[in-house]
Amino acid sequence: MTPAEVRAAQQEGAAVLDLRTPHPFAAEHLEGALSVQFNRADLVDRVELVFPEDLPMIMHGEPEAIGKVAAKLLSDAGFNVLGHLEGGLKAWKEEGLPVVQLPTLDVDELKDRMGEFTVVDARDPFEFKYGHVPGSGILSWTEAWYEADKAEDDPPIAVICGDEIRSVLVASILVRKGKKAELVTGGMVDWVERDYPIEKGMG
Amino acid sequence: MIFKQFRYEPLNQASYLVGCPKAKEAFIIDPIEGLGADFYVLEAADLGLAITGVFETHVHADYVSCARELAEMNGCPHYLHENAPTTYPYTSFKDGDVFTVGQVDMTCLFTPGHTPEHTSYLITDKSRSDEPWAVLTGDCLFVGDVGRPDLLVGDQALDVMDEGERAQTQFTTIRDILFALPEHVEVYPNHYGGSLCGGVNMSGKNSSTIYYENKYNLAMQKADAAEFAEFVRDTAKPLPDDYEKIKSYNLGLLEKEELKGAGV
Repeated sequence: MTPAEVRAAQQEGAAVLDLRTPHPFAAEHLEGALSVQFNRADLVDRVELVFPEDLPMIMHGEPEAIGKVAAKLLSDAGFNVLGHLEGGLKAWKEEGLPVVQLPTLDVDELKDRMGEFTVVDARDPFEFKYGHVPGSGILSWTEAWYEADKAEDDPPIAVICGDEIRSVLVASILVRKGKKAELVTGGMVDWVERDYPIEKGMG
Repeated sequence: MIFKQFRYEPLNQASYLVGCPKAKEAFIIDPIEGLGADFYVLEAADLGLAITGVFETHVHADYVSCARELAEMNGCPHYLHENAPTTYPYTSFKDGDVFTVGQVDMTCLFTPGHTPEHTSYLITDKSRSDEPWAVLTGDCLFVGDVGRPDLLVGDQALDVMDEGERAQTQFTTIRDILFALPEHVEVYPNHYGGSLCGGVNMSGKNSSTIYYENKYNLAMQKADAAEFAEFVRDTAKPLPDDYEKIKSYNLGLLEKEELKGAGV
């Protein structure tokens, strides 16, 4: 699909799945895009866990080959895939179409500025129970699409997971649903590595 | 560190991915057209890594490279040693330059002999240790054998040596540069087994160590460079089909259509 066709489909409610890694996504992505990191092994399973099957989807991969492969995998699995973005981000920007950033903060900034954020954990409940940032709540990645509307974003939400893959997904869903959200880079791996405090249980 | 060897069996060729799971970035070394640029893109994506650099140990004569295409697709540099005599632009480096991907350092070791620009890449995983862990030896040192010195085409301007002198350079390069590395360092070559880039003693095994090759690599047991050169000549395999065409393409002197399927 050309950038203009993608934009028109977005305005009709289609979701752009950005298949890149979390850092390039945070730096710059199509307005409204959702971050779903690609891999051939379990992309279909993850999309199935996160989104409703009838959601019209457009793939954005860099390089383009990734978008094509993802479109095939998901349409073969029965998803409503409209196509993939031709020419990638470069073509999109050449058309003057809007790109946005996802703000990020690392775990040190999170620790220093705890009161300024609503901390949300994007992992599965069993992981959250085992240990999480004190005071954080859970918005599991598999629930996020359906529950994001209820999220409190005053103060803004800082989303964390083990690494960054599920947190960036949940943050992008929150932003799409009109919430103020930021991504915690480095995730619980960095938090634990620095020996920052941990709270156990379901909070 | 994420380290992966890709083997292209029709040509007994090995290419590599060196990446960092934390930085989510990777370098690709010596990609081959037989697998194709999309192959590397998808393999890296499967590992959650974006390709941020494409490196070659040298300009190849026995297989068609897809380094240019892969670098362009990813919008990242294509790196070669500054001696590489290509007609297209690349990002050059010098001996000793270090490229970093997350917690992994890749140090360029200039190892001429097979070609005048040949470079090996020393890999250090700083998340484990400051000691190097592996070396990508390209067509300098193979498992059980060494790279042949007689596949030069199109780069005579830079190469003032004859075949015998290049063989002697190969000997001193391996002895003084590669065998000077810590003996635990693992050796990962660009070829194995039946590849025509080395001689009849090349092993089908796809990796070795500096210790093992120093001790048991037959060519390197020779007393001096002259004996080594003679041994390499005597144990050489036939020249690869179409190597002049392939090398010319890899140098940028031929278009892809002119290859007519050679070297893929």
